[in-house]
Amino acid sequence: MPDIQALVSDLASKLRKRRVQGSYETARLTAELLCAVILQHKEPTTNGAASLIEAVRRVGEQLIAANPVELAVGNIVRHVLHIIREEDLSPLTDIVGELKLSAEDDVEDIAEDENSQKSSATTDGCLLKPPLLLAVFEHLPDSATACQTFSSENIFAGKGKKLKSELIKAVNELIEDINTCREGIAEQAMELIHQNEVILTLGHSKFVKEFLCAAKEKKRSFEVFIADGAPKFEGHILAKELDKKGLKAIVITDSAVFAMISRVNMVIVGVHAVMANGGVIAPAGLHVLALAAKKHDVPFVVVASTHELCSLYPHNLEVLLNEMRCPSELLNFEEFSDCIDYGIASSSSLLHVVNPAFDYVPPELISLFVTDIGGYSPSYIYRLIADYYSSEDLPPQQKPAS
Amino acid sequence: MQFDDQGRVNKSKKRAVFNQPEAKNRVELFRHLPQYEHGSQLTDLESKFLELDSMHPAVYKVGVQYLAGDVTGGNARCIAMLRAFQEVINDYSTPPGKTLVRDLTAKISSYVSFLIECRPLSMSMGNAIRFQKSRIAKLPLTLSETEAKAALCNDIDRFINEKIILADKVIVRHAATKVRDGDVLLTYGSSCVVEMILLYAHELGKQFRVVVVDSRPKHEGQALLRRLLAKGLSCTYTHINAVSYIMHEVTRVFLGASSVLSNGTTYSRVGTACVAMVAHAFRVPVLICCEAYKFHERVQLDSICSNELGDSNDIARVPGRPDVNSMDNRTNEKNLQFLNLMYDATPSEYVSMIITDYGMIPPTSVPVIVREYRREYLLI
Repeated sequence: MPDIQALVSDLASKLRKRRVQGSYETARLTAELLCAVILQHKEPTTNGAASLIEAVRRVGEQLIAANPVELAVGNIVRHVLHIIREEDLSPLTDIVGELKLSAEDDVEDIAEDENSQKSSATTDGCLLKPPLLLAVFEHLPDSATACQTFSSENIFAGKGKKLKSELIKAVNELIEDINTCREGIAEQAMELIHQNEVILTLGHSKFVKEFLCAAKEKKRSFEVFIADGAPKFEGHILAKELDKKGLKAIVITDSAVFAMISRVNMVIVGVHAVMANGGVIAPAGLHVLALAAKKHDVPFVVVASTHELCSLYPHNLEVLLNEMRCPSELLNFEEFSDCIDYGIASSSSLLHVVNPAFDYVPPELISLFVTDIGGYSPSYIYRLIADYYSSEDLPPQQKPAS
Repeated sequence: MQFDDQGRVNKSKKRAVFNQPEAKNRVELFRHLPQYEHGSQLTDLESKFLELDSMHPAVYKVGVQYLAGDVTGGNARCIAMLRAFQEVINDYSTPPGKTLVRDLTAKISSYVSFLIECRPLSMSMGNAIRFQKSRIAKLPLTLSETEAKAALCNDIDRFINEKIILADKVIVRHAATKVRDGDVLLTYGSSCVVEMILLYAHELGKQFRVVVVDSRPKHEGQALLRRLLAKGLSCTYTHINAVSYIMHEVTRVFLGASSVLSNGTTYSRVGTACVAMVAHAFRVPVLICCEAYKFHERVQLDSICSNELGDSNDIARVPGRPDVNSMDNRTNEKNLQFLNLMYDATPSEYVSMIITDYGMIPPTSVPVIVREYRREYLLI
């Protein structure tokens, strides 16, 4: 266990110091770390799954606290917890199959209708009718619960080692998915890009690059306008890479996106995270681009992988999930150091420099999500949340002590 | 002029005063606009200084200032050009066998084409030149040469005074009534009229904050920021990508314009359309401050049919970022192009009001002003 703690602190410090950045990198590292956690976990004979869940959750809280803005960490943690719960309760579905109960219904949580609705639909794969079932439950509370706890104890005792090996297999599949999500996304390029298309993008995203290169390999010819995406200027990096692959790339400034959008067929962008309502947290400047695309009725396509899918709803959009970057990226400190003194008399600086890293784009402005499991409209995202996450793992309420 | 027509381009090259090599890697969509290699233009023009005996030195000086970027902004460029023309007129003497009207008009036309070579005309300059030529054409034939020259110089003085300097004062008075205590005012880039408005409102004692939005490659907002801070205004500085982040605390947006066209479209620095669009989405009023002499009867639907292309190296080179700068010697690669637009067209639905020296009007009233008052200044 001290071994695991060292690994966890190592990753947490890397996250805190922003040495690890980008949803792909953080997702992969988090998944590998959680795999190691599960591997080394010594579980008790009964209720091994609950202790495993507790261990993973503790590690997850540490990692999330290190970099709250990097949502991929939380996503992977919750995904792994979901996998544990699924693997854990899958034999139950055989036993109580006749009652057609959903496996996710923990006995204690019967009262939560909405949760059972969402989770029941997923794990069984068939749409059940929870209200009727709940009525059944209410009429036969004792016998049903007694039956469940009895059978679950038996199952847990017998399963022990088998649970762990199943989990390791599932988490390895998850890591594999993270590594190969690009292929799934790139396959769909042919369905969306036609000949002589003009595409506009902003900044740099690996998925967008794979998407465009895949279309190019299939001999579609098109040109790409790239807005450079200040203050990171990653658009230049994307332009260089596309140029190497033989794609026609034209670099424009961010201020020119409205001017150019009338001649563009499609906007394709990569984002930082996809929220549960279908909105996205994207690099700064994408809200402006989305508004311009809406005005000209240009399809706004977001390319994302499933590990960027987050089960949070954005309530206080611009502020809570945003990160302020260094002001020196905008203003040269040496040139403006004299201006900073102007406010001494009033005891507050006259000059403030604002450099947010992210923008929130509401779901109304997005036409399509291209993910490694297919293309979806923003209204479907909440369903995907249910596929990958369990309701019990949604962000914990702030305990008064913490 | 159409630069995609090879015949016309060759003809104009023959008449050109100095040599401007065309940019090799031109964006197809903008083939109808001139795009030159910017590295060698200034040195070339400077070397030609002693050879250009047909060029008046004042006009030459203004041309070099345009090329070097020392004089920017619609009003400044227009005033510089008109003052140069005043000197031309003062130094002018009719050659024997020619009439003053025709000869002077021809001279002015040749100077104007030189200035166009240095930098394409802004619409304000176009209007001023038209005014100038019409004044020359309307000179009564009974005037002697000295009287004619004095009349023309007088006209130029009146134009500058009434149409630019006094107009700015009127605009500032009108606009200051729109600034209330506790306002957060946003402006983009650097417009001299907006700067005057902010300083005047501050002098009146109104309490407000300013947000200056800026963008590459020119970073014009930094100069404005410095001047505002020097006068004691509280300012926030941000980049155009952060405009949607900052817009929820803004109460008014003041923007300048290079010109306002007859369909209500505002033609101004690239990025203005983005700012106006975001302000509209957040229900923040957008006020355009523009003198009436900049109105034009042209119409424009997008920013592509008519624009100005700047130096593509400005886009390729990012100051202070060596990892990105390895690209700047690649501006002539076949697949990779850089597009430096200078202007864009803001649709009229994003603009709440235009503040001019004729009052505060909605964008739909611009053709009315053009029609009703165009006659007036021709009759000065």
